[in-house]
Amino acid sequence: MASITAPMGGETRSIPAPSPRIADYLRWSIDHKIIGVQYIVTSLFFFVIGGALAMLIRWELLTPTLDLATNGSQYNSLFTLHGTVMIFLWVIPMMAGFGNYLVPLMLGAKDMAFPWLNAFAFWLIPPAGILLLLGWFIGPPEAGWTSYPPLSTLYSPDGQTLWAMALHLLGISSILGAINFIVTIRNMRPEGMGYWQMPLFVWAVLATAIIQVLATPFLTGALTLLILDRVAGTSFFDPSNGGDVLLWQNVFWFYSHPAVYIMILPGFGMVSEVLATHARKPIFGYRAIALSSMAIALVGFTVWAHHMFTALQPELRIPFMITSMIIAVPTGIKIFSWLGTLWGGKIHFTTAMLFALGFLSMFVIGGISGVMLASVPVDIHVHDTYFVVSHFHFVLFGGSVFLIYSGLYHWFPKITGRLLDERLGKLHFVLTYVSFFFTFFPQHIAGLEGMPRRIAVYDPMYTNINQLISFSAFVLGITTFILLYNLVHSLVAGERVGANPWRSLTLEWATTSPPPPYNFVGDPVPFEDPYGYGTEEATAYLDALDRRFPPPTKLPPTAAVPHPEPAGD
Amino acid sequence: MDAERSNTTNSSPVLWIIAAFALLILGGLLIAETAPLILPPEASAEAQQVDNLFKILLAIGGAIFLLVQGALVFSVIRFRARPGDKSDGVALHGNATLEFVWTAIPAVIVLILSIISFQVWVSTTSAKDNEMVVNVTGARFTWSFSYAVPDHENLKVNSSTLHTYVGQSLKMVMQSADVNHAFYIPAMRIKQDLLVGRTTEIRFTPTLAGDYPVFCAELCGSGHGSMRARIVVHPDEATYLSWFDDEVNVLLNPPADPVVRGQQILSSGQYPCAGCHTLTELGWTGVTGPNQNGLADRVVKTRVAATGLTPEEYLLHSLYHPSEYLVPGFGNLMPQFQANDPNAPSYMPVEDMEAIVAYLCTLEASGENVCNLDNLQSLASQLK
Ligand code: HEC
Ligand SMILES: [Cu+2]
Repeated sequence: MASITAPMGGETRSIPAPSPRIADYLRWSIDHKIIGVQYIVTSLFFFVIGGALAMLIRWELLTPTLDLATNGSQYNSLFTLHGTVMIFLWVIPMMAGFGNYLVPLMLGAKDMAFPWLNAFAFWLIPPAGILLLLGWFIGPPEAGWTSYPPLSTLYSPDGQTLWAMALHLLGISSILGAINFIVTIRNMRPEGMGYWQMPLFVWAVLATAIIQVLATPFLTGALTLLILDRVAGTSFFDPSNGGDVLLWQNVFWFYSHPAVYIMILPGFGMVSEVLATHARKPIFGYRAIALSSMAIALVGFTVWAHHMFTALQPELRIPFMITSMIIAVPTGIKIFSWLGTLWGGKIHFTTAMLFALGFLSMFVIGGISGVMLASVPVDIHVHDTYFVVSHFHFVLFGGSVFLIYSGLYHWFPKITGRLLDERLGKLHFVLTYVSFFFTFFPQHIAGLEGMPRRIAVYDPMYTNINQLISFSAFVLGITTFILLYNLVHSLVAGERVGANPWRSLTLEWATTSPPPPYNFVGDPVPFEDPYGYGTEEATAYLDALDRRFPPPTKLPPTAAVPHPEPAGD
Repeated sequence: MDAERSNTTNSSPVLWIIAAFALLILGGLLIAETAPLILPPEASAEAQQVDNLFKILLAIGGAIFLLVQGALVFSVIRFRARPGDKSDGVALHGNATLEFVWTAIPAVIVLILSIISFQVWVSTTSAKDNEMVVNVTGARFTWSFSYAVPDHENLKVNSSTLHTYVGQSLKMVMQSADVNHAFYIPAMRIKQDLLVGRTTEIRFTPTLAGDYPVFCAELCGSGHGSMRARIVVHPDEATYLSWFDDEVNVLLNPPADPVVRGQQILSSGQYPCAGCHTLTELGWTGVTGPNQNGLADRVVKTRVAATGLTPEEYLLHSLYHPSEYLVPGFGNLMPQFQANDPNAPSYMPVEDMEAIVAYLCTLEASGENVCNLDNLQSLASQLK
């Protein structure tokens, strides 16, 4: 047993309160924390754009005929950009933002292994985003985020080329970021932290980074061929000149299926931290959760063709069905382990926890519909219908986005030294949870009834259900602004907190909030078990942390006014 | 008896667990019963098998859903921190048996599901006796179905509606004229992509007479949503044949008037005009190209002056060289038809072109023909 008097190591001199300025965030910086915030803010910006596009899509779908869009192409551009922005400019960079901010802190490190590369990877994102949106002015891409040729080659305007170039940049950014994570996690763990003592978020980022390094080159390769077909007259995907349309689909999904895990695994890591901390209980089945991330990463490379069940040569459908079924098992292990974590805990209903619980209850629906989709005969009926749209929004919104929200409420105090407003947070949660459900659950039904996806003009028999979906979606859209307002408001007026407001055992909380540029004074010693809640040692460690980094003195409860410290940091 | 004793000690965890699982299974079965309320009519032999499989999935999925939500709600209520309680929960790190169980049971479930799915897959896709072959062409943004005519090798019955009858197994042989499409009949639970450069197939056997929608399920461009057709399942072979024989009759005795012939060709759905143009007279509702109601009037009033062509020349160009004179406000999306290569999907023999143009020339308020049909004839014979 580690002694409880010296769990933190390092020096004990006090850390000067850092005062980062806004300008620091607007320019090149190699501080992983600044880069992390740059990722987070940039992706929030694109979230708003992607969300606005979603609102336009739902507006168009209020009626079975074209009304908002003047023609079908315009509508196709809306969902093409919506999908591309949400995946490549919102969820993936947002997860990279959390990874950047948290991984070095959780490892007790001063920065990432390659700080310059880290900054470079981030700065590829803004130009890529601009490139993508510029497409709007020269004939926007309209072949969907999947951009199947020949629609995306012979039949699409020039914005499609910009789309491919933008994704190319984002792919490179993602690969560079991932290499950095792998090296950081491999080399920069502190004394006393073996792989099996790493926080599960770090495990998840490691699994994600391995996928990114192995899979993303396939995307960039396929994009290169697509660009060549479009601008250099080659015919990799043109059957009339010896090319093959399925080549793109195979290579694209060889990346894009693993990309699903790139988008969800870091969230799985975050939810493990949030559940253990706010339920005051050790994570249930630590090794199973850590290893199941790796299993998902591995098996995730063998399931891509289930996206092509209606195109794939028939003999290949069954093998891909089997692998796709198998991948449900490690995901199930995680869900059950998280439920086990709650069992016997002391659950605190913070907003972070509410979103984590909301995730559990919604994500399981996405998992169940995923197994249904894996079953070939059922998939044949619902493939490319709203059932699929529903499924991937349950895993991407009910999964990734709920977890991003949870992570924001959990780590905002670390990043800013202030809590997000919990009352607004609960309002945000309740409205999001309900409107999310009524936006996406009915889409299962529309899909089972046969409504194809990606259509602006639909059979009038689907009108009622689409109106229900659209109105719920509008509410869901509005909830975003509660979060944005809360972020801005709490940044200047949120309740100030100390180093460790949630009394969490992982290392990022063993330094001031926000941490100084060099993160820690001296080399911090991690507590022996990142999830060792419920022991005297843990309580003693947390008390010692509070003594070392005393929380700001609380005002008497009557004083609801913001603290008198100078605002604006 | 043992059971009696444990009945009286109502805290026995085994009994609780058994009761909970019985409830979950019951709940799953109830949820599965909702399937017929949601799914479209079950109009093929395949649909029945797929629906049964779906019900199994729904029952298992429903039970798992109830299990997870139940455990979640129970934990949230039972293990909530009471106000002021600053203590931690129990220091429990895992339970090897439990973890083994919740790995093994899902593994067995997905294994069983894979086996059942495989069986359904094999039986729904296997070749049937006496299949009727229908050729399907997907072109932006219409479907066209073509049937061989017995004893007339060169004749094909073309239709924009898929006709068949109860009990006749079908094999659809599908080709795309431009981009990928997907042939989808919700009521039959079948879907298959049309891939450029390949021929793909799908089979089904209708079992319920009726008229059901056919959709395109693979994004194919601006008119994707309106790329729809109907399938008419006649109750028996006789009613089907009365439709089919009428069509053959028309083919064998083509009307002499090119205008009537043109109208017949266009309404057969052999060419993909309906998906892009609106023409009320023929039931076209496409919106990708110009509205063709009153086309002849418009050609005379604006296009003749804009292009310097006679109306018949202009319309001929619209079919064989559409990119040369674009209608303002529209992109170059109209497919270019040609009269040289009979095997290409864009093939439109000169005779068909002549008839189509002759018909298009009558699309004006008064119904008069605005073109010089003799001139059209000589243009056509030059092309041949
Ligand atoms: C893929 C969509 C598409 C299909 C299929 C299509 N068209 Fe078009 N058509 C267009 C578009 C777009 C235009 C306007 C641009 C142009 O002038 O080429 C057009 C223009 C025309 C014009 C000139 C109209 C005018 O108002 O001046 C005629 C005539 C025409 N189409 C007839 C047909 C016929 C007949 C068919 C079937 C054999 C057909 N089109 C199939 C998209 C289509
Ligand atoms: Cu289509």
